[in-house]
Amino acid sequence: MVEPAIALFGAAYEKSVTVLDDLLRESGARYALLLDRKGFVLAHKEALWAPRPPSLDSLATLVAGNAAATQALAKMLGEPRFNELLHQGTTHGMYAEEVGELALLVVIFDTSVPVGRIKLYGKRAVSALETLTKDAVVNPAKMGIDTEYRDGASALLDELFRN
Amino acid sequence: MSTINFAAREINFKIVYYGPGMSGKTTNLKWVFQQVPPNRKGEMISLATEDERTLFFDFLPVDLGEVKGFKTRFHLYTVPGQVFYNASRKLILRGVDGVVFVADSAPNRLRANAESMRNLRENLNEYGIKTEEIPLILQANKRDVQDALPMEMIQAVIDPESRYTIHEAIATNGTGVFETLKAVSRSVLSRVVAAG
Ligand SMILES: Nc1nc2c(ncn2[C@@H]2O[C@H](COP(=O)(O)OP(=O)(O)OP(=O)(O)O)[C@@H](O)[C@H]2O)c(=O)[nH]1
Ligand SMILES: [Mg+2]
Repeated sequence: MVEPAIALFGAAYEKSVTVLDDLLRESGARYALLLDRKGFVLAHKEALWAPRPPSLDSLATLVAGNAAATQALAKMLGEPRFNELLHQGTTHGMYAEEVGELALLVVIFDTSVPVGRIKLYGKRAVSALETLTKDAVVNPAKMGIDTEYRDGASALLDELFRN
Repeated sequence: MSTINFAAREINFKIVYYGPGMSGKTTNLKWVFQQVPPNRKGEMISLATEDERTLFFDFLPVDLGEVKGFKTRFHLYTVPGQVFYNASRKLILRGVDGVVFVADSAPNRLRANAESMRNLRENLNEYGIKTEEIPLILQANKRDVQDALPMEMIQAVIDPESRYTIHEAIATNGTGVFETLKAVSRSVLSRVVAAG
């Protein structure tokens, strides 16, 4: 199967951001991200008090790779899946959970916040996000990805990758 | 299939550099990283061993710019080419939009090239993808090595039906690197349009 395209737009996007925002407020976490399984950021939110996050692209890629590796391990051990990923350091922690088949939720928190709280609100957010991402699978043509788009992009390729 | 983030009006493509160990996949990405201006690229991440062999993947995001109001980005990945890293190599192919196969022109690597291509087919098949269904670009790298394999010989083992053109490259000095990347990007763009 070629992985379907997910597009979060309009109401679905707004709702996802609200879910992430609620999650941050209720749990006291720093950053929350919704990613697709390939490691692309679909939506993200930072707590008002939090400093600028590290590169979200890099973060998303590493989490998606990590999650894929974890699921492969689960299969090898005869488990259908390992439910969540949790990493705890001295000052920061990271929690990641699958959002259906297509997406991942990532929460970065300070270790002063109890992990139980992160998990509780994390799981709540996951069930809300699951429906949203399921409905967000689209056909590129409907979004205006057409030959005009292709030719425009192609011209930019020559500009950027000039020898 | 590509990811579209309409909220940010962004469209993303995932391109994977595949090929046998030491063929120069990471070197291709390093060249792109060096050449693309800072405002058009993100950090390059390399998950590698002490001796610089790729362990899990290299990653480099490149911003093409805006087209029809869509910010267009390419996420470039390399896989670890060494045979025994197949489990991780397979994971990197998940959700791939286009593949660059980097073959090694060194005379003792003919068989490794053939095996890696076969492995690519097998791994794509496990995702239910036929090699013919995905944009695939071939590169013969290390054209500068002594006694480099003739192009026809490389093609014969990785593309016996001569379906594809092979781009010659010397990734260490950048020869052919952009040409290859442009070819795969164009092919991916055409594909997303045709899919619509
Ligand atoms: N002579 C020559 N050497 C090259 C060329 N491209 C890469 N190399 C060298 O080949 C070695 C391996 O290159 P990498 O880019 O690390 O190879 P890789 O395909 O990423 O290898 P894995 O990560 O193990 O799969 C390095 O020492 C490079 O400098 C080339 O065009 N010519
Ligand atoms: Mg490498």
